[in-house]
Amino acid sequence: MFFLNLSLGEFLAVWGLVSGGVFALYLLDRSRRKIRVATLRFWTPSDKPPEAKHRKRIQQPWSMLLQLIAIGLLLAALAQLRLGSPDRMSRDHVLVLDSSAWMAARTGPLSLLDQAKRESILWLRSLPSGDRVMLVRADALPTPATVFATNRPATEQAILETRPGASAMNLKATLDFARQMQRQHGSGLGEIILAGSFRSHANDLPSEAELPANVRLLPVKSDLRNVGIRKVTLRRSPADAQLWEVFVAVKNYSRQVENAPLAITFGSAPVGSARMTLQPGAEESARIEFRTKAAGYLEARLVLRDAIAEDNAATLELPEQKLVRVMVYTREPALLRPLLNANRWLTATYAPPEEYKADADAEIIVLDRFAPPVKPARKALWIEPPAKGAPIAMLSPARGVKLTGWRNEHPMAAGLRSLDLRLDETSVFAPSANVTVIAQSEVGAVAVASKDAAYLGFHPGRGALRFELTAPLLMANTLEWLAPEVMRRREVTGESVGNIQIPLEAGVEASSVQVLGGNDIAVPFSIVDGNLQFYSGERGMVRVRTGSKEQVYSLSLPDIAESTWEAPAKVRRGIPRGVTDSIASRDIWQWLAIAGGLLLLIEWLWFGRTRLPAVQQQALPGTEIFRRFTAPFRKAS
Amino acid sequence: MAEFSIDQSFLERLERLTLHWQKSFPGLVGGHNASRYSGAGQEFLDHRQFHQGDDLRAVNWRVYMRLERLILKLFQVEPRVPVRILIDASESMTTGEPNKFDYARRLAGALTYVGLVRLESVLLQPFSDHLHDPLQCGGGRHRFRPTVTFLESLKASGKTDFMGSVKRFIAEYPQRGLVIVISDFLDDQGCEKPLQYLADFGHEVFLIHLWSDEDRVPPFKGEIEIEDAETGEVQKLNFDEEAQAEYTANFDAYARGVREVALRKGGKYAGVVTSTPVEQAIFGPLLGGGR
Repeated sequence: MFFLNLSLGEFLAVWGLVSGGVFALYLLDRSRRKIRVATLRFWTPSDKPPEAKHRKRIQQPWSMLLQLIAIGLLLAALAQLRLGSPDRMSRDHVLVLDSSAWMAARTGPLSLLDQAKRESILWLRSLPSGDRVMLVRADALPTPATVFATNRPATEQAILETRPGASAMNLKATLDFARQMQRQHGSGLGEIILAGSFRSHANDLPSEAELPANVRLLPVKSDLRNVGIRKVTLRRSPADAQLWEVFVAVKNYSRQVENAPLAITFGSAPVGSARMTLQPGAEESARIEFRTKAAGYLEARLVLRDAIAEDNAATLELPEQKLVRVMVYTREPALLRPLLNANRWLTATYAPPEEYKADADAEIIVLDRFAPPVKPARKALWIEPPAKGAPIAMLSPARGVKLTGWRNEHPMAAGLRSLDLRLDETSVFAPSANVTVIAQSEVGAVAVASKDAAYLGFHPGRGALRFELTAPLLMANTLEWLAPEVMRRREVTGESVGNIQIPLEAGVEASSVQVLGGNDIAVPFSIVDGNLQFYSGERGMVRVRTGSKEQVYSLSLPDIAESTWEAPAKVRRGIPRGVTDSIASRDIWQWLAIAGGLLLLIEWLWFGRTRLPAVQQQALPGTEIFRRFTAPFRKAS
Repeated sequence: MAEFSIDQSFLERLERLTLHWQKSFPGLVGGHNASRYSGAGQEFLDHRQFHQGDDLRAVNWRVYMRLERLILKLFQVEPRVPVRILIDASESMTTGEPNKFDYARRLAGALTYVGLVRLESVLLQPFSDHLHDPLQCGGGRHRFRPTVTFLESLKASGKTDFMGSVKRFIAEYPQRGLVIVISDFLDDQGCEKPLQYLADFGHEVFLIHLWSDEDRVPPFKGEIEIEDAETGEVQKLNFDEEAQAEYTANFDAYARGVREVALRKGGKYAGVVTSTPVEQAIFGPLLGGGR
């Protein structure tokens, strides 16, 4: 029998102190009884001095004795008196089962995780029955699978239900979590059991100082042959819209040199291959090009047999390459053709104004010096619209006008600069609330934009302007603003799950960044030092949009850590031997508290009630009295 | 606290009782107690000479035929005399076991019932340091229910002020009659003077003095702290057998003083200890007429 919270000396000291207080209260307070009387008229004090006579003895010794015993019992309950010896006290253990991607590796019929499960169950069965165990599954995030419990079948079932994850184990965070669980919920400090191969990223390994003293290892063999794809990047060539470049990064996790044949297929048809020879621990990249404008699935596969099959193949989805269709109504197509042909993302069709259709089969309609009778049903670019029939108000045309400034915050004028640029001939637009001025001249606005149309008062392919760099840039900006989805540049990357870090291009504003997961659900992200960071613990697809660029991350590869933790020699290993399943010490504080409370109740029933003022005891409602008084009378009447 | 109960036999026994007083009061005919005042009664009282303005119907015409003198025949009147029950509703009545206030209410209820049976006009007037709202009842036993409701709603509170209450009572009710005071007569200012004032005014006073056993013989010993129920004043003292005997002697002397006040002007006094059942008290000291 021992106290959990106090030593015997502390318990006796506290009890003695409280008992002394109670004793003093009995002498001081109970020596004088409070009585409520009808009058003080007839009371006369006794001639004998009372003080010395009564304060030397207890008037109700049994009451005081009961109270002292009750206080002792309650104090023992607070001190958590336990039956048994301290070394038999039940302990709370945290069993950390490594469920990282590496644990899916096989060395034969069993995977590493199966071996770790077997070790965990053997350890669990060696524990005293009173010890409580919490199971934590650990990959990038430690996740508790059970609470602290002595229910061994339930814990074993939770161990057997553990499956390998897709991320690497964060050993440092897992140890912190286990230690925190023991502090918050554990009543008796037990061990932290680590069962697994302990592969982690270098930053996630604990230092020796951070290692808790109560760690025990149940290691499984981790020296395996494995070569895996780390990353696959797929992007369209900047020079050719139909040419795709595939970059594949492969890593050798083994301790010997490995040959890794790589095959690339698109829609099940081989489009390229490579053979890599990898030194132990080395990572190399292969670059393969192929040409297509169709959408489909591209697969990169390592043709070999090793411990982990999941990282031998990665599949990416190629988006369909859509071109922007532009319908140009002009009498002089030669003026616009150089400007439109310069952009490889669009295809232009030219027609005279007489063939104008408001709902032409195109994404953008260009109206060159022509005002149609019906407003275009598509997004439109109006070039030098005639004053009669123009959809916006116009002022008188001007000649030899100097261009004074561009509204650079608008996408149409992004990056445009011009010095001493004069327009030979231009229309001038009247400013209004519905339009945004894009270019300003000495005489007024010469380029404006409304909700779904752009208006140029000058022709970018005529006069001196055609020799300026401003003309093609303005056209490209305008077309991209009119059809942003189609013009968006795409890049597809196959990555492993976990932390993703992407360097952002210069000038990209944080407000324009979007990170979307499956079903376009926003994924939390942060931007630190020009790098976009986000975390995904599950396989899936994540889209990162930064301005006009979209990067698609196909997170299908497992995150396999590069480092294996070498535990210090002092750390205990294996299943402890010689542990006997004896009866652990048992809590009895609940019974002590109940007994103390009962004793106080008995004391109050015997002695406490008589100390109440007389009027409280005598209260009997007058209503009841007179009801009884009158009841027979009413019957008689 | 002992529970009070009343059964049919007690009600029947109450119905045989009558509220009786000794004094003669003027008043209209209709009562039960004879008065020394002449009036429209049935019992012959006296003869006297006829004076101008006397009622000719009262002339004894036989005497006139024989003596040729106008002699009036006087009859004894039985006037309707108001019965007023003053109930002490001060805080001091709530002390003791059994509770004096409950006991007083039960006594008042029983006395009212007796009065109602005899068709008396009964006024229930609670008081403490002022007169509370009264209840006037009469008209027979069937009107007893309002009395019960009234007594049920009574609450004891405040100090006792006999002098103020008596002055106000006399001002409110100038007609003389029987005044029954049910109280513990514990007033720090003294109650002899106001009670004497009440008797001198012409009322017949019947004092029912209530006390509990511990009011007369406190069962406490040792160091005690006593608190006045009305004033809240606290006194610490050592109480032993000698002090207890002295207390009882003081109490008895005070009770004797109250009794003397009642008897001095022809009134009545009955000391009732609350441990006595109400039924026994009514057919004991109260039926004895108070001495």
